[in-house]
Amino acid sequence: MNPTLSRVLKSLGILLAVLAVLAYIGYLIVYVAYAVELFHWPFDYDQGEGFELYDAVLYSQGEWPYRDNATYPFYASNYPPLFHLLIVPLLPVFGARLIAGRLLSFVATIITSVAIAVVVRRKIAHAEQSRRDGWLIPIISGLGFLASNYVYQIGPLCRMHMTMVMFETLAVAFIAEFEHPKHGRRNLILGLLMLLCAGYTKQTAVFTVVAGLFYVFLRDVKKAILAGAALAVVAGAIFGLLNVATDGQWWINIIQANVNEFDYRQTIFLFGQWFRLHALFVLLAVGYLVYELFWDRLSAYSLWFFFALGVGALSGKWGAGFGYFNTAVAAACLTSGLALGRLRNSDWAPFGREIGGRNTQYAIRPLLTVLIPLLYLLQAPRMLHLPTSGPLFGPLARALGVDDALIEGDCATFQYHDAMGYTQLGHLLTEDDYATGEEILRYVRTADGPVFSEEAMFSLLVGEPAVTNPTQLLNLYNNGLLDTTEIVERINRQEFGLVIFRAQFYPPPVLEAIGQNYQPVAHPCMNGFYYHLLWPKRVIDGP
Amino acid sequence: MITKRQLGIAAVAFGLLVILGTIGVDLAGAGQWSGFGPLQRIGIGAGVVAIVVGSILVRLGDRPA
Repeated sequence: MNPTLSRVLKSLGILLAVLAVLAYIGYLIVYVAYAVELFHWPFDYDQGEGFELYDAVLYSQGEWPYRDNATYPFYASNYPPLFHLLIVPLLPVFGARLIAGRLLSFVATIITSVAIAVVVRRKIAHAEQSRRDGWLIPIISGLGFLASNYVYQIGPLCRMHMTMVMFETLAVAFIAEFEHPKHGRRNLILGLLMLLCAGYTKQTAVFTVVAGLFYVFLRDVKKAILAGAALAVVAGAIFGLLNVATDGQWWINIIQANVNEFDYRQTIFLFGQWFRLHALFVLLAVGYLVYELFWDRLSAYSLWFFFALGVGALSGKWGAGFGYFNTAVAAACLTSGLALGRLRNSDWAPFGREIGGRNTQYAIRPLLTVLIPLLYLLQAPRMLHLPTSGPLFGPLARALGVDDALIEGDCATFQYHDAMGYTQLGHLLTEDDYATGEEILRYVRTADGPVFSEEAMFSLLVGEPAVTNPTQLLNLYNNGLLDTTEIVERINRQEFGLVIFRAQFYPPPVLEAIGQNYQPVAHPCMNGFYYHLLWPKRVIDGP
Repeated sequence: MITKRQLGIAAVAFGLLVILGTIGVDLAGAGQWSGFGPLQRIGIGAGVVAIVVGSILVRLGDRPA
């Protein structure tokens, strides 16, 4: 290659690499700003947050969250315990406040991001340790995970998803090295432990369990059978003990309550959206999977990516959503980094040809130093999301031309832009939201009896226990597993001093009984949603 | 150690099972659609892909998978 052209390409490559890193650091800043905002917000941002916190509160009091839903307080958890147990040590620091779980989840996403970067760096570093740009691919693979619209929106919530993804990522990283000459056994044991942790954080980790064991199976059948048996015995023993300790409620609430209706159209839509948002990462991961399948040996990372698509296939389940793609996002970011590293480290000599007296193999590497950061730069705007107001994000949104692309909530317009389109998450809170939250709390504090709330935080913030877990009750009712006699009787006796609805995800007999015995008194708008506050008719009618 | 050929045979067998299962649900009367539903078409497509991929892998012989 012409030396001048080579220097130009090198300089251009450095410039594009700097721009690419800056773009993804920009996403990191947006993510941290959103997380810090949520750390201050005391109410549920996502409907399930308060319930997950309440599970931790119950554990801290020595109680199980797996209970009979037919009896007061009609509350049970439908998730495994690990995320909630990890929150317990934070409760003495923060109290029963959502920041405990949100901080934990946020830290889990940072650990996952770092783990992705470290794995990619270690895997592709051999041939490029002396290169100045040896960190570009690892850094953007890790930051790309945090830049994902899905990770951004769910990452700092008091939800268990991202902690599961962290355990999954660590599990695959360890299992991938199970043949290490010195630390192979240790890596396998640690990998299995991480798989166990992932599974007891959220059930959907089962796909990563299959991926990890399948990888071991491809390389060492005997070891895979032993590892699988050991994992099954330990996981099964814990499962059995939990079921016995909760008098069978573990099985009902964790397994049976999660059998929901499936809408394949939602799955197809979400697969399309996931691909559209993460096109570069997905295409590279698919390409790397195909390459390894036919031309090389399958790695743990490619298999993880493949099986993670299985979790995505479940996203059409009622109550599921784009959060089911977070594992696939992590796997795609990691595997795409390996793919680009492989491309750059490849021996291009067999593809070299004499053209005009020069060998083209020498041109491929300089071209890749330009092409790789360029691809990352082209991917960056596909995931664009940011608040569109405020001293920092307002001018930035104007500069990017998205300041007027707002998102409409039920009763408010979010000053937020997201390339994925309509979403209930991701926006920042306003002063009006805080004021409305306090207004709702005044109703809660003056309620003449327990509060029947669709969100747990209204009760927890005034030191009262959560009453009802609506979606759990609805799931069980739809599966013929809920006796509504007691809850309907209590509603008919107007025992609850206040009812707070948001989405009205309660079983029909419950909604019907409330309609007959309670009357709306206010419909405040908070966080883009109408909250419907209902008093018992006995209070409205007077003594 | 599993070879490409063994993995390919497993993939072909899996694909056949998926296709047979997808057709079989009609015989069992399951599903909410009359005739061939959209999920069945997806199932058949996945089965065919597994068979094609498996067939290629079988031809790659005893290389490690």
